[in-house]
Amino acid sequence: MQNFQANLKRLEAADTQVLGISIDSPPSNGAWAKQINVDFPLLSDMDHKVLTAYGLNKEYDIKGAKILAARRMNYLIDKDGKVVEMQVDNDAVDPSKVVDVCERKKLKE
Amino acid sequence: MKRTRIAVLSSIFALAACSVSTFAADTKSSDAPPPKIKVGDTAPDFKLLDQNFKTVSLSDFKGKKNVALAFYVFAFTGG
Repeated sequence: MQNFQANLKRLEAADTQVLGISIDSPPSNGAWAKQINVDFPLLSDMDHKVLTAYGLNKEYDIKGAKILAARRMNYLIDKDGKVVEMQVDNDAVDPSKVVDVCERKKLKE
Repeated sequence: MKRTRIAVLSSIFALAACSVSTFAADTKSSDAPPPKIKVGDTAPDFKLLDQNFKTVSLSDFKGKKNVALAFYVFAFTGG
Protein backbone atom coordinates (compact mmCIF):
# COMPACT_ATOMS: atom_id res chain seq x y z
CA MET A 1 0.00 0.00 0.00
CA GLN A 2 2.98 2.26 0.65
CA ASN A 3 3.80 2.02 -3.06
CA PHE A 4 0.33 3.21 -4.01
CA GLN A 5 0.54 6.08 -1.53
CA ALA A 6 3.87 7.10 -3.11
CA ASN A 7 2.15 7.27 -6.51
CA LEU A 8 -1.14 8.74 -5.26
CA LYS A 9 -0.70 12.20 -6.78
CA ARG A 10 -0.04 10.73 -10.23
CA LEU A 11 -2.98 8.34 -9.95
CA GLU A 12 -5.33 11.11 -8.81
CA ALA A 13 -4.15 13.36 -11.63
CA ALA A 14 -5.09 10.53 -14.00
CA ASP A 15 -8.66 10.36 -12.59
CA THR A 16 -7.98 7.22 -10.61
CA GLN A 17 -9.26 6.33 -7.14
CA VAL A 18 -7.09 3.90 -5.17
CA LEU A 19 -8.84 1.31 -2.97
CA GLY A 20 -6.96 -1.23 -0.88
CA ILE A 21 -8.78 -4.38 0.20
CA SER A 22 -8.01 -7.22 2.63
CA ILE A 23 -9.61 -9.38 5.32
CA ASP A 24 -8.45 -7.06 8.11
CA SER A 25 -10.99 -5.28 10.34
CA PRO A 26 -11.63 -1.53 9.98
CA PRO A 27 -9.76 -0.73 13.27
CA SER A 28 -6.80 -2.82 12.16
CA ASN A 29 -6.76 -1.09 8.76
CA GLY A 30 -7.13 2.27 10.52
CA ALA A 31 -4.11 1.67 12.75
CA TRP A 32 -2.04 0.52 9.80
CA ALA A 33 -3.14 3.46 7.59
CA LYS A 34 -2.02 5.84 10.35
CA GLN A 35 1.31 4.06 10.75
CA ILE A 36 2.21 4.16 7.05
CA ASN A 37 0.45 7.47 6.25
CA VAL A 38 -2.05 6.03 3.78
CA ASP A 39 -5.02 8.32 3.16
CA PHE A 40 -7.01 6.35 0.60
CA PRO A 41 -9.69 3.84 1.70
CA LEU A 42 -8.53 0.44 3.00
CA LEU A 43 -11.57 -1.80 2.72
CA SER A 44 -12.48 -4.61 5.05
CA ASP A 45 -13.63 -7.90 3.48
CA MET A 46 -13.78 -9.84 6.74
CA ASP A 47 -16.33 -12.39 5.49
CA HIS A 48 -14.35 -13.00 2.24
CA LYS A 49 -17.39 -12.09 0.11
CA VAL A 50 -15.40 -9.96 -2.32
CA LEU A 51 -12.37 -12.29 -2.30
CA THR A 52 -14.70 -15.11 -3.27
CA ALA A 53 -16.40 -13.06 -6.03
CA TYR A 54 -12.95 -12.28 -7.47
CA GLY A 55 -11.57 -15.79 -6.85
CA LEU A 56 -8.70 -14.46 -4.74
CA ASN A 57 -8.81 -16.57 -1.57
CA LYS A 58 -5.40 -18.06 -0.89
CA GLU A 59 -4.22 -20.27 1.96
CA TYR A 60 -1.16 -19.06 3.85
CA ASP A 61 0.88 -21.05 6.34
CA ILE A 62 1.66 -18.73 9.26
CA LYS A 63 3.92 -20.66 11.66
CA GLY A 64 1.93 -23.83 11.07
CA ALA A 65 -1.52 -22.25 11.16
CA LYS A 66 -3.45 -22.28 7.90
CA ILE A 67 -5.01 -18.89 7.27
CA LEU A 68 -7.17 -17.93 4.31
CA ALA A 69 -6.45 -14.39 3.07
CA ALA A 70 -6.25 -12.40 -0.16
CA ARG A 71 -3.98 -13.34 -2.99
CA ARG A 72 -1.93 -10.27 -3.89
CA MET A 73 -3.50 -8.58 -6.92
CA ASN A 74 -3.89 -5.16 -8.51
CA TYR A 75 -6.75 -4.42 -10.88
CA LEU A 76 -7.19 -1.23 -12.85
CA ILE A 77 -10.90 -0.79 -13.53
CA ASP A 78 -12.04 1.86 -16.02
CA LYS A 79 -15.00 4.22 -15.71
CA ASP A 80 -17.28 1.65 -17.40
CA GLY A 81 -16.41 -0.93 -14.72
CA LYS A 82 -14.20 -3.06 -17.01
CA VAL A 83 -10.79 -4.45 -16.03
CA VAL A 84 -8.12 -2.84 -18.23
CA GLU A 85 -4.94 -3.95 -16.44
CA MET A 86 -3.96 -6.50 -13.82
CA GLN A 87 -0.88 -7.50 -11.84
CA VAL A 88 -0.82 -10.71 -9.84
CA ASP A 89 1.21 -12.12 -6.93
CA ASN A 90 4.75 -10.71 -6.62
CA ASP A 91 4.25 -8.49 -9.69
CA ALA A 92 1.54 -6.65 -7.76
CA VAL A 93 3.98 -5.21 -5.19
CA ASP A 94 5.13 -2.48 -7.59
CA PRO A 95 2.09 -0.65 -9.02
CA SER A 96 4.02 1.34 -11.64
CA LYS A 97 2.40 -0.57 -14.53
CA VAL A 98 -1.05 0.43 -13.25
CA VAL A 99 0.15 4.05 -12.89
CA ASP A 100 1.50 4.03 -16.48
CA VAL A 101 -1.71 2.63 -17.92
CA CYS A 102 -3.95 5.23 -16.26
CA GLU A 103 -1.67 8.05 -17.34
CA ARG A 104 -1.75 6.79 -20.93
CA LYS A 105 -5.53 6.39 -20.74
CA LYS A 106 -5.81 9.97 -19.51
CA LEU A 107 -3.81 11.21 -22.53
CA LYS A 108 -6.12 9.37 -24.90
CA GLU A 109 -9.31 10.86 -23.43
CA MET B 1 43.05 -25.42 8.44
CA LYS B 2 41.63 -27.55 5.67
CA ARG B 3 38.96 -28.89 7.98
CA THR B 4 37.93 -25.32 8.90
CA ARG B 5 37.62 -24.46 5.25
CA ILE B 6 35.39 -27.47 4.61
CA ALA B 7 33.24 -26.52 7.58
CA VAL B 8 32.89 -22.97 6.28
CA LEU B 9 32.06 -24.20 2.79
CA SER B 10 29.45 -26.62 3.99
CA SER B 11 27.76 -23.97 6.09
CA ILE B 12 27.65 -21.70 3.03
CA PHE B 13 26.00 -24.51 1.08
CA ALA B 14 23.53 -25.07 3.90
CA LEU B 15 22.63 -21.36 3.88
CA ALA B 16 22.26 -21.38 0.11
CA ALA B 17 19.94 -24.38 0.31
CA CYS B 18 17.83 -22.56 2.89
CA SER B 19 17.46 -19.46 0.78
CA VAL B 20 16.55 -21.55 -2.27
CA SER B 21 13.73 -23.22 -0.35
CA THR B 22 12.45 -19.83 0.93
CA PHE B 23 12.48 -18.56 -2.62
CA ALA B 24 10.53 -21.61 -3.76
CA ALA B 25 7.90 -20.92 -1.08
CA ASP B 26 7.58 -17.31 -2.24
CA THR B 27 7.07 -18.18 -5.87
CA LYS B 28 4.83 -21.17 -5.23
CA SER B 29 1.91 -19.03 -6.37
CA SER B 30 3.15 -19.40 -9.97
CA ASP B 31 1.33 -22.73 -10.05
CA ALA B 32 -1.78 -21.12 -8.54
CA PRO B 33 -4.86 -21.14 -10.79
CA PRO B 34 -5.23 -18.27 -13.26
CA PRO B 35 -7.28 -15.40 -11.81
CA LYS B 36 -11.05 -15.63 -12.20
CA ILE B 37 -11.45 -11.98 -13.24
CA LYS B 38 -9.28 -11.03 -16.21
CA VAL B 39 -8.64 -8.04 -18.47
CA GLY B 40 -11.82 -7.24 -20.41
CA ASP B 41 -14.14 -8.63 -17.71
CA THR B 42 -16.60 -6.50 -15.77
CA ALA B 43 -15.32 -6.14 -12.21
CA PRO B 44 -17.86 -7.53 -9.69
CA ASP B 45 -19.41 -4.74 -7.61
CA PHE B 46 -18.96 -4.68 -3.82
CA LYS B 47 -19.92 -2.61 -0.80
CA LEU B 48 -17.44 -2.60 2.10
CA LEU B 49 -16.41 -0.53 5.14
CA ASP B 50 -13.20 1.47 5.06
CA GLN B 51 -10.91 2.24 8.03
CA ASN B 52 -13.25 5.09 9.08
CA PHE B 53 -16.34 2.82 8.96
CA LYS B 54 -17.52 4.58 5.81
CA THR B 55 -19.28 2.45 3.18
CA VAL B 56 -17.48 2.37 -0.17
CA SER B 57 -18.84 0.71 -3.31
CA LEU B 58 -17.12 0.09 -6.60
CA SER B 59 -20.23 1.47 -8.32
CA ASP B 60 -19.70 4.84 -6.53
CA PHE B 61 -17.02 5.56 -9.13
CA LYS B 62 -18.79 4.31 -12.25
CA GLY B 63 -18.75 6.95 -15.00
CA LYS B 64 -16.59 9.20 -12.78
CA LYS B 65 -13.21 7.67 -12.03
CA ASN B 66 -11.01 4.70 -12.81
CA VAL B 67 -10.38 2.50 -9.79
CA ALA B 68 -7.05 0.93 -8.85
CA LEU B 69 -8.14 -1.98 -6.67
CA ALA B 70 -5.25 -3.40 -4.66
CA PHE B 71 -5.79 -6.69 -2.83
CA TYR B 72 -3.23 -7.13 -0.04
CA VAL B 73 -2.57 -10.08 2.21
CA PHE B 74 -2.50 -8.55 5.70
CA ALA B 75 -2.28 -5.10 7.25
CA PHE B 76 1.11 -4.41 8.84
CA THR B 77 3.00 -6.19 6.06
CA GLY B 78 4.91 -4.78 3.10
CA GLY B 79 3.46 -3.98 -0.32
